[in-house]
Amino acid sequence: MALPERQTDIGPPHYEQFLPPVIKKNYAKWKYHEVLDPGTMVHVAESGDEIYTVRVASPRILATETIYEICDLADKYCDGYLRFTSRNNIEFLISDKSKIDPLKKELKDRKYTVGGIGPRISNVVHTQGWVHCHSACTDASGLVKAMMDELYEYFTEKELPNKVRLAVACCVNMCGAVHCSDIALVALHTKIPVVDNDKVGKMCEIPTVVGSCPTTAIRPNPKEKSITINYDKCMYCGNCFTVCPPISIKDAERDGVAIVVGGKICSLRSDPKFSKLAIPFFYNEPPRWPKIVAAVKNILDVYARNARKHERVGEWIERVGWEEFFKLTGIEFTHQHIDDFTFMRDTLRTSAAFKWA
Amino acid sequence: MSLKHKTPMLDELEKGPWPSFVTEMKKAAKKSPMAEDGLGQLEKSYQTKLGYWKHGGIVGVLGYGGGVIGRYSDLPEEFPEVAHFHTIRINQPSGWYYTTKALREICEIWDRYGSGLTNMHGSTGDLVLLGTNTESLEPLFAEYSSRGWDLGGSGSCLRTPSCCLGQSRCEWANYDTMDVIYNLTQEYQDELHRPAFAYKFKIKAAGCACDCVASIARSDCAIIGTWKGDILIDQAEVKKYADGGMNIQDEIVGMCPTECVSYDGKELKINNPQCNRCMHCIAKMTRALRPSGERGATICIGSKAPIVVGSLLSWVVVPFIKVEAPYTELKELIARIIEWWDDNAKPRERIGELIEVKGMRPFLEAIGVPPQPQQVKEPRKDPFIFFKDEDFEKIYTKDKY
Amino acid sequence: MEEEEIKEKIFAYSTQMKGKKKLKEKDIIKKIAADTGLEKDVVKKALRAMINVGKLMYSYGGGASSVEIPSDEYLKEKGML
Repeated sequence: MALPERQTDIGPPHYEQFLPPVIKKNYAKWKYHEVLDPGTMVHVAESGDEIYTVRVASPRILATETIYEICDLADKYCDGYLRFTSRNNIEFLISDKSKIDPLKKELKDRKYTVGGIGPRISNVVHTQGWVHCHSACTDASGLVKAMMDELYEYFTEKELPNKVRLAVACCVNMCGAVHCSDIALVALHTKIPVVDNDKVGKMCEIPTVVGSCPTTAIRPNPKEKSITINYDKCMYCGNCFTVCPPISIKDAERDGVAIVVGGKICSLRSDPKFSKLAIPFFYNEPPRWPKIVAAVKNILDVYARNARKHERVGEWIERVGWEEFFKLTGIEFTHQHIDDFTFMRDTLRTSAAFKWA
Repeated sequence: MSLKHKTPMLDELEKGPWPSFVTEMKKAAKKSPMAEDGLGQLEKSYQTKLGYWKHGGIVGVLGYGGGVIGRYSDLPEEFPEVAHFHTIRINQPSGWYYTTKALREICEIWDRYGSGLTNMHGSTGDLVLLGTNTESLEPLFAEYSSRGWDLGGSGSCLRTPSCCLGQSRCEWANYDTMDVIYNLTQEYQDELHRPAFAYKFKIKAAGCACDCVASIARSDCAIIGTWKGDILIDQAEVKKYADGGMNIQDEIVGMCPTECVSYDGKELKINNPQCNRCMHCIAKMTRALRPSGERGATICIGSKAPIVVGSLLSWVVVPFIKVEAPYTELKELIARIIEWWDDNAKPRERIGELIEVKGMRPFLEAIGVPPQPQQVKEPRKDPFIFFKDEDFEKIYTKDKY
Repeated sequence: MEEEEIKEKIFAYSTQMKGKKKLKEKDIIKKIAADTGLEKDVVKKALRAMINVGKLMYSYGGGASSVEIPSDEYLKEKGML
């Protein structure tokens, strides 16, 4: 079959053709919205028009077969209109109120997970992991699945003090907002890379490799036409591997996962915050990483019991203090928790006023 | 039909209530040998706790330098169908809205040439097609582009811009995020498809400070909606919240970061000049409170993930800019920002890192933005201060401080 | 200067640097503009024309994009060999 003629530099299609008529009509004229239940909300326009949204979880990896099924549902109940959220949820957009319950019933029958709206856990932002990434130290999709099976009711039903945004990054490149999430998993290397001198010499630009190291741990090795790594300075970030693949950093027994907490991106009440280290390391335990899942559940439970209404994880911790966070969660405080990199000055305590643990 | 590879580890991840990516991969594997070997290789990773992908090389279709991420198996003999398993990024429509007709068309093409696996969506916002071979790249591009779909960005380029759904369905949006992103994406087609920059550059547009696209954390240039007028109060609606059980004193007044809200049990008051527009009260009492007056955006610059020397959140650079079609002022500002970065950056240096190296002054001067207290949390703490000769002309001629 | 002549210079420089330094698009434009005294936009146009017909190609490696002389594999895939 002959191929159609290619076009270049056309950019994305204009969004307007994908908007439901009620959205087109009331564009920029919305008045308010209400969360009706954990998976449903209504937006009301100045005109009085309404659009209902039913939110459904996805594993982010979707087979086309599933997308066809989603399309069938959107045709049946939503006149063929749907959207996705920035956290990989599917949103069915309904103009006819009478179709909400039948849609939800069919979603339930077909084993879709409805929820994620309001003060709950929404879908988890995550990266490719072993499924499709060259630098992964874990499998992001597997961690998300194991974690969300455990936290399921916080998506579909149970309320928390506020939204809790979860994220999983399969290495420190963090192709997701892990660094500003309420609770996040970030996979780490913990071992000095192994240098294949022959290949480094042939494949890589030595000055680029030397320049890639944030801790100046890499020096040229002119004798081997390669580089050497100072074991005392290397923090295993893997940036040298990114610029020069023959510097191998992955290691089955020493790649693992850290838990970071207390980040946020919105400006509500307090400024956006980075996530901070809660637990420095877990070994990879596929397929279900039970220790990590239990640790996340523990942090979430302690937050749910102790935070005030509307406080995000980071706001709660800042109010009670990090020493209190470690006490309440029973997490051991270690050398790894004290920053010895770029944020050291900002993070050491400079006051004798603190709480006893 | 049974699959080629046994997957005992992955089968464990089909149990439990949360939707399973393994189930998705198996669905695709039934139709596609590529997806089948992809599943087999993943099972191996679960057994050995190691990844087996290499990347680099192939980056696109003829003439483009991005949109395709070359991916190759480290184990091509064991898993020959994924010897090549490239990713394709399709530039998503603003707000991730689709019709079923469009989605089906995308999927049907993908089923013909690829693994049938997708990400809806990737971290930057693109519609991601996971896994195809090299021979299929040109045919896929012809099929998609002829139907109005272009590739997204990858490599050292302007990455695919993305936005929250803005005014299409949200009462809080202060400007038309979807239209701005559509316009900027069209404006920067060359920079998006042909990687001529020192490194990646990301633009994200959020309609308000709730920032549903994480622009402040994940984009070199964040356009965050804001306003200049008062917060309008509908006291009847305030009463309904109170009657409905909201503890306005604790939940609204007590949580206002600037202590500008008061409530006497009857009437809610806001000391508007003291409000920092954080969005808390508006988000919690959306029927009662709404912004008014002049609308626009705050431009924040520099955020990125930890590589190389630590994460950055974006810094306020332009406290307020009007964002109205045809967006001339915004486009010119962004052009100056990108030009300064492109002229000065070393390879693989993001704009936030460059500002740290060069200082804020050269950047602000280059883009024509004056220093303003809104740009800092506090002024400098150290007494090591740069002065230029021209600063003294100003200092000497001033009557006051 | 004829565009063909600029292209020859670009190709000669790319050949000379092959295996020594990964050239960014900007490196080539800067070098050829300096050597010839031509406007950068003129050089860029010639470079882009070469990329459009597979005389040169964009590549990715070491965490960054570059411009290279295409491999036979690439040319074969694009139906040019």
